[in-house]
Amino acid sequence: MQNLTPTTDLIPAARQEGDALLVAIRGEVDLHNSPELRAELFDLLGRTKAKRLILDMGQVPYMDSSALAVIVEALKKLTKAGGKVVLFSLQPRVRGLIEIARLTTVLGIAKDEREALTK
Amino acid sequence: MTEAPRQLRLRVTSDPANLAPVRHEVESFARACGFDEAARGEIVLCVNEAMTNITRHAYDGATDQPIELSATFADDLLRITVRDWGAGRTPRPCDQSHDPLRPGGVGMLCLRELMDRITFTPQTDGMLLVMERKLE
Repeated sequence: MQNLTPTTDLIPAARQEGDALLVAIRGEVDLHNSPELRAELFDLLGRTKAKRLILDMGQVPYMDSSALAVIVEALKKLTKAGGKVVLFSLQPRVRGLIEIARLTTVLGIAKDEREALTK
Repeated sequence: MTEAPRQLRLRVTSDPANLAPVRHEVESFARACGFDEAARGEIVLCVNEAMTNITRHAYDGATDQPIELSATFADDLLRITVRDWGAGRTPRPCDQSHDPLRPGGVGMLCLRELMDRITFTPQTDGMLLVMERKLE
């Protein structure tokens, strides 16, 4: 396991475990700060060469379509290389957006970190 | 019992930094009107997506342009109007076969699915969006 040092408050913690990059996101994410999330997330993906992105959404009470677009972009990048994106600890408002966007079948959704790592 | 406020009026710029404060104001208003947690989440999501679309499309990314939002509540109906002075293009109807992996379109999906009624009325100098949601 390797702890990484993110440079934005939106990502309070990140670490690599094998081919998985585990990233905790914190706060409300909308068009104001989703570009910051995108930059940090893709920097971490580039540095780690991870195939699986595991997102801890437990501290994200709200996100909008621009934040979702960042996750979808990561998903498209990783699936091209045979990888995946799994989200866990979804709060109701975030889950609702993912359902409206018809992403429940293409994104991995898990209850907790342990389940996310086995998906 | 405290009577629900009848009207909320906000005038902000199209800067995305205003999204969170506007969401919080609308959420407080919707709470005072009696909407539950789930409904409030859907209402603020629609307001957020409407404003995001204005910044991105009506104002082509400009962050210093005006947006006026008003909300009224009467006869168990929440009516939210969002006015901009941008390009005045009516958004394309939602594609029911929305491809989740193609960028764009999620904001309009939210409005169509989470509001009881939405209308876009082009103005001579912009657009007026009205969103309605009944209290159930």
